Amino acid sequence: MSELTLDDADVRAVLQAALSTGGDFAEIYAEDKVSRALRLDDGRVEDVISGLDRGAGIRVIQGRRTAYAYTNVLTRAALVDAAKAAAAGLPGEAGTQVADLTDRRPPLEHPPARDPLAVDQHGLVAIVQRAEEAARAVGPEVRQVTIMYSDVRQSVFLANSEGHRSTEQRVRTRLVGQAVAARGDVIQTGFEGPGASQGHELFDTHSPERIGRLAAERAVTMLDSRPAPSGEFTVVLAPGSGGVLFHEACGHGMEADIVAKGASVYAGKRGQKLGTALLTGVDDATVPGGWGSFGFDDEGTPAQRTVLFEQGVCTDYMSDRLRAAELGIARSGNARRQGYANLPIPRMTNSYILPGADDPAEILRSVKRGVWCESLGGGQVDPASGDFVFGIAVAHWVENGELAYPIRGANLVGDGPTVLARIDALGTDFDIRQGVCGKDGQNVPAGLGNPTVRIDRITIGGTA
Amino acid sequence: MNPQDELLAVLDRVVAQAEPGEGVEAFGVDETETNVRAWGGEVESLSSARTRGVGVRVLRDGRMGYAYTAVLEESALTQALADARRNAAVAGPDDANALPEARAAAPLPEVAVDGFEDVPAARKVALALELEAAVRAVGGEVKGVDTAAYADAVTTAAIASTTGVRQAYRRTDATIFAEVLAERDGATTSAYGLDMRRHPDALDVAAVAAEGVERATRLLGGRKPASAKIAVVLDPFATASLLGVIAGALTAEAVQKGRSLFAGRVGERVGSERVTLVDDGRLIAGPAASPWDGEGVPSGRTALIEGGVLRGFLHNTYTACKDGVASTGNASRAGFMSPPGLAPTNLFLEPGELSAEELFAQAGTAFYCQQIMGVHSGANAVSGDISVGAAGLMIRDGAFAEPVREATIGGTIPGLLDGLVAVGRDLRFLPFGGGMGGALLLIDGLTLAGS
Repeated sequence: MSELTLDDADVRAVLQAALSTGGDFAEIYAEDKVSRALRLDDGRVEDVISGLDRGAGIRVIQGRRTAYAYTNVLTRAALVDAAKAAAAGLPGEAGTQVADLTDRRPPLEHPPARDPLAVDQHGLVAIVQRAEEAARAVGPEVRQVTIMYSDVRQSVFLANSEGHRSTEQRVRTRLVGQAVAARGDVIQTGFEGPGASQGHELFDTHSPERIGRLAAERAVTMLDSRPAPSGEFTVVLAPGSGGVLFHEACGHGMEADIVAKGASVYAGKRGQKLGTALLTGVDDATVPGGWGSFGFDDEGTPAQRTVLFEQGVCTDYMSDRLRAAELGIARSGNARRQGYANLPIPRMTNSYILPGADDPAEILRSVKRGVWCESLGGGQVDPASGDFVFGIAVAHWVENGELAYPIRGANLVGDGPTVLARIDALGTDFDIRQGVCGKDGQNVPAGLGNPTVRIDRITIGGTA
Repeated sequence: MNPQDELLAVLDRVVAQAEPGEGVEAFGVDETETNVRAWGGEVESLSSARTRGVGVRVLRDGRMGYAYTAVLEESALTQALADARRNAAVAGPDDANALPEARAAAPLPEVAVDGFEDVPAARKVALALELEAAVRAVGGEVKGVDTAAYADAVTTAAIASTTGVRQAYRRTDATIFAEVLAERDGATTSAYGLDMRRHPDALDVAAVAAEGVERATRLLGGRKPASAKIAVVLDPFATASLLGVIAGALTAEAVQKGRSLFAGRVGERVGSERVTLVDDGRLIAGPAASPWDGEGVPSGRTALIEGGVLRGFLHNTYTACKDGVASTGNASRAGFMSPPGLAPTNLFLEPGELSAEELFAQAGTAFYCQQIMGVHSGANAVSGDISVGAAGLMIRDGAFAEPVREATIGGTIPGLLDGLVAVGRDLRFLPFGGGMGGALLLIDGLTLAGS
């Protein structure tokens, strides 16, 4: 299938109709998304799904006001109707003209080395079966194994009244393993789910066997777990495991829409030292093959790397066109949308805590009594207060610098600024994970990453 | 032709292409939505849209495949059917795979209000603006809103299959909600006010603003509590989010896959006698009300737990076939892109007799949990462990005392059900995971952790 594109004359007609009531900016975002998914559950292939979603959204901006309409019929007539529906949300007279459209190439592309669509459904079944066999081989305690494969090829066409016209293809592949292990009355679960803006070259670094085995090993490890204690402890986050904490507790509050409304604990804090001098955190849409990477953001700003915290100082917010104008800052290329049915809003792409200078082994040895966290579960944060809660999926109790035994049922509880200030060691290592971030009802892929992180003190909510 | 007949006609054309020996089911959605957000006295955004799509299931030799398309042209529909066939070919065979036989569902006309399409956009805009202004007018420690929004949807859903299922219904929904921000000494709190109706005229702007303001301001000045084993009063919002987790363990899918702590316990006591947990897909007050489920099976009422005794589980056609029982009408759909899943509809604990005041008086000293955070990671339907973040207030001598933040509530699902002492008399449905019935709950035996 070729790249999605719309005829120039059609685009001009649509943008002109969108500007007919006084909008000062109009944009058309058209999308064609081919998705496949397949699940192997309990040895049986089920939920084999494929689909085509296609549509276009037309946005008109007048000052701080936005009107939007979308349709999944891509004829000129239907698009002009949608443009008129959006324009009807603004009460004024035409003024702005549509500039001549010029093709823009994305500053970087993430083309798949091995196109997923070259592998048919039978090939996908073989992939999930390899992962399952490896999970089962971990031991007799492994009772349930679920393997989920998904790929998506999204073609985006973007044009606006300022003359931008671009097309971009984004391909993403993910393989998720989930295992349930049981011994006596104890049941535990394990997870491993790498994904990337890649094709099947993903499996060169993350073989299906490795994914299945890691999920099963985590479940089996947790069978020996004891209920977690409650209280304040030193916590060490393993590489990759703490990215979600940075994303939720620090990243969201650095999104310009939340900042602009004064609903962020980081609002008005630019230039202030909030964290330890060890901490540098970035949001980087240019990571090659990154889960949250792209060429242009979803309103045509080139992908870039934004420094959120530099040596503990709150530096730049993540912005889109509207909020950059409102805050008087540069656009950071963080406008993202779930699809054509959604307005772009400031979102993270790949948000990483950068590595530090400490030996990871030494960091663990430095903990007298505390928690070593191998993987966090989901989390939730109130951006207004910075308060957060994270489930801990896999963790160990640490005594005198050594892992003593696994613990379960624990939550990390705290607030973003306090944690930033209490980070007192960062390892030279680094790893990434992949998440799906939800905000305002829109889900987008978000990359996460961190080195070994030591937090001097944080509340553990346990069940012991 | 009305939208229901129009959609059925599209589905008929797909089903008519079924080959001998295969089952075909087509599910279609045609939805018109409006969303308005207000901020700072202005319309921040106004969005209107119409989306349509069809999802196709093919059953052949016990194998089920699925494909969908948002493009309703003849060629795209034929392609979707061909894709579903190809997907079925690699799926594992399973004797329990079946398309349900046709069972006429009694209509549920109350889920749609006539004349919804005649509500002018200006009226919807005004509701969002009024809500935002009502919150801002409070002033003082109330800073305003993070979000003040109006949202509605007029949905037509239809289904047709080779087993003779053929029906359609229309539904209307209108919602307003505000996330209110309050601030004291540099610390900000936030809370929701929300109202959901079948028509915008029934929405109560003043009540939503007042609810958000009260809930946000009463958390101001919150501190970490001392860790303790303490009685907990769950607020309706908190109850609704916890019910979602418990519901996950009460689906037959979770049981059949060994992912439920309730497996094999039908007929046994699983909670205190106060626990009567009901799922009712035809309850008009609930947001998930519909005449039939995601497979066209009539919605119904299922008592899952009665007086503390486990009575059964929620079923769709697949899990029902597997257990040799009838579907409870709980096949769920997240739109046309998803094959039928299994989920509660309107799930609620049978209300008791106590007013809020009486329940507080009975509690004496307790932690009033207004917000739960991290419920999806912190409450495990397999192991039964619960460890969730919480914010709220202490109840002392039967009345609200000091606010609490950065707390966690720990325990287990069995412990929570055993420890249920009282259910408040007021039931209110919230749009969490279908429709969860919020009520005040008084629970013994949970741990509150703080500093």
